[in-house]
Amino acid sequence: MKVLNTLDDWLNKAEGALLIVLLLMMVLLAFAQVVLRNVFSAGIVWADILLRHSVLWIGFLGGALGISNKRHINIDAFTHYMPPRMNSWFSVFTNLFGAGVCVFLTIAAVKFVENEISSGSFVYGQIPSWYAEIIIPVGFGLFVFHFIARAARNFFEETRKKEAAA
Amino acid sequence: MWIVVFLLIVIALFGAPLFTVFGAFVLFAFSAINTDTSVIIISLYQIAETSMLVAIPLFIFGGYVLAESNAPKRMVALAQAMFGWMPGGLAIVTLVTCAIFTSFTGASGVTIIALGGILYPILLKEKYPERFSMGLVTASGSIGLLFPPSLPVILYGIVTQVSIDQLYLAGVIPGILFIVVLSVYSFTIGITEKVPKIRFSWKNVLKAAREAAWEIPLPFLIVGGIYGGYFTATEAAAVTAFYAFVVEVFVYRDLHIFKDVPRVIKQSMLLVGATMAILGIAFALTNYFIDQQVPQKLLEMIQSTITSQTKFLLVLNGFLLIVGMTMEMFPAILVVVPLILPIAQEYNVNPLHLGIIFLTNMEVAYLTPPFGLNLFLSSLRFRKPVFSIARSVLIFIVLEFVALLLITYIPDLSLWLVNLRTAH
Repeated sequence: MKVLNTLDDWLNKAEGALLIVLLLMMVLLAFAQVVLRNVFSAGIVWADILLRHSVLWIGFLGGALGISNKRHINIDAFTHYMPPRMNSWFSVFTNLFGAGVCVFLTIAAVKFVENEISSGSFVYGQIPSWYAEIIIPVGFGLFVFHFIARAARNFFEETRKKEAAA
Repeated sequence: MWIVVFLLIVIALFGAPLFTVFGAFVLFAFSAINTDTSVIIISLYQIAETSMLVAIPLFIFGGYVLAESNAPKRMVALAQAMFGWMPGGLAIVTLVTCAIFTSFTGASGVTIIALGGILYPILLKEKYPERFSMGLVTASGSIGLLFPPSLPVILYGIVTQVSIDQLYLAGVIPGILFIVVLSVYSFTIGITEKVPKIRFSWKNVLKAAREAAWEIPLPFLIVGGIYGGYFTATEAAAVTAFYAFVVEVFVYRDLHIFKDVPRVIKQSMLLVGATMAILGIAFALTNYFIDQQVPQKLLEMIQSTITSQTKFLLVLNGFLLIVGMTMEMFPAILVVVPLILPIAQEYNVNPLHLGIIFLTNMEVAYLTPPFGLNLFLSSLRFRKPVFSIARSVLIFIVLEFVALLLITYIPDLSLWLVNLRTAH
């Protein structure tokens, strides 16, 4: 349990760091493009490709971090009116459900990347497409891990509370 | 199939992240028609193939930077100095600053949290009735939704392939209509409740303007740039993100580069992650709907009962009210719009007009008890029970509902400016 939590926190830190680097790069590059286009009528050819793939990477990293921070969009209209105890059992269940769904999405993503590798396509110049796409299976894999860690945290917190009450 | 859908709805109501619920559905749906599930990932990869999407992380980051800095305080001070002398002046200040702020932050509820927290105590201090003040800040939470550079408009454009510039143009009159309707009401409250007015002084205006000097150009730059056709929405996002970052971190130094910036980036990118997760799955969902001709089937189902455009719009208003009460803005746009757009076109509803109806309808839904999102946000922010918030917004809901009906049944409110522009 402790190992799971430590690994979870450690992964979150790494995801956060990568997010910061990617976003700052995006802000600078996107602004440079605007200046180049409007002032010098020029542009960096690969900038658009890099920016678009950064969105994909940021999406997955932010999504992974969002599982641990409970920031994914859900319908909370009904859970608002539920007792908190019940909600933490719900969340053990919904996190396990999320993990299950993401296992299948990871499998689909691995297949997708395998196809891309065998087709030998390039995202830009001599850079193979799968370099940019690898975040999809990796990202869904991270989702699985964070969902399980989250479910475990909720489960042990609840059982501890129950023992304390008894 | 229906059993699975029913089970998934139950799981969604338990509070499961929506992307996992929709993800489970597409996984099941594609397997059921013997299609390899890797097509889901092919659809999801559209995220990296859509240039417009670059705007999303940039705008969200820019909006968060502004929200976390003291920009809201400076904006309120300036607006108060300029409009505080009018009857109901401070209430109108609330509406206008919230509108500008929402257009920059999207409909993510940041407005109620950031601006509501500043404006509500000021409204009370200036002797506005408590219930009115509470209702006003809650209702103002999503009022600038139609103005550039609002993200929901961009998302609607991405989903429907409708020109985003034209959508912003279509939103001008409806957006102003909302503000005018609520301003007139605030004006009457200002008079009937005999709220004391603030004396106008140039000195105060100048002082407030000098303090906000670096922030004042931003809305003009972005709004002018987009309406004038100088910027695309993506470029406007790049400018907003860069400008807000430089001004708040290096000029005002409201945010410390090492202490605050990493936190703000992480916070804002959590929202981007949540959006992209749903977006990726929604792309796959849309492909499935198109492949299986779901909109056509829905159309056939309703065609015999809904025979006229007016009837269709009426049903649409009611339907969207329910959607808006249960879903947040982004997933609603991503999942519901692809379904209703082809149907609406059969009833001769212009996609631009549909976009404006959709977004304003959502706006009203967020106020509607018992499940409206703004009610919960206000309840959290001001530590009041949802019930008393709901009571305070009742009159605002009625007013916004009237505005919504006008916007829905008078298409020219949305289309007149667009036609004017294309005629030239």
